[in-house]
Amino acid sequence: MDAVTYPDDRVISFIDENIIPLRVRFGVKPLTDDFNVKWTPTLITLDPEGVEHHRTVGFFAPEELIPSMLLGITKVFFDTNRFDDALMNLDKLLKGYPESDSAPEAIYLRGVSLYKNTDDPKPLKEAYEKLRDKYPAGEWTKRAYPYRLL
Amino acid sequence: MGDQIKWETEMAAALDRARTENKNILLDFFNPG
Repeated sequence: MDAVTYPDDRVISFIDENIIPLRVRFGVKPLTDDFNVKWTPTLITLDPEGVEHHRTVGFFAPEELIPSMLLGITKVFFDTNRFDDALMNLDKLLKGYPESDSAPEAIYLRGVSLYKNTDDPKPLKEAYEKLRDKYPAGEWTKRAYPYRLL
Repeated sequence: MGDQIKWETEMAAALDRARTENKNILLDFFNPG
């Protein structure tokens, strides 16, 4: 991460504009234990009260870290019922990084967020159909499988 | 924009900034090797 991802201008700019970066050496107590961290790099998205909403383990290239951070920010909004804000971030992710590894989960969360906002189940079925067409064997396609019946 | 990430190194400072700037936190547990 230090050699490739963190020096990347796109990553520096995204972090500067969107999120507070906090670095803790693995093993430092009590945080390592508090967050039950076992391996590095572990990246966790926290809300301003310190509550965890998103976690990844392992290396990210710049073009994957930015959408992963967008997904983390989205999950803060989603978990706190701010679905309009979640949808805004999901649209940024899906327009800016449609081929990223975060995109399938974003498609799923977009369908759920639209449903939460409207009580209309149609976006859930549309999310499944998008996932099926683009990622036929994908994890999030399988998770959305029941929505084909809506 | 600077030429490197301006990491906070203390949770309390990061939380203060997060509340003040109405942003979330990216917490990176790292191993310097």
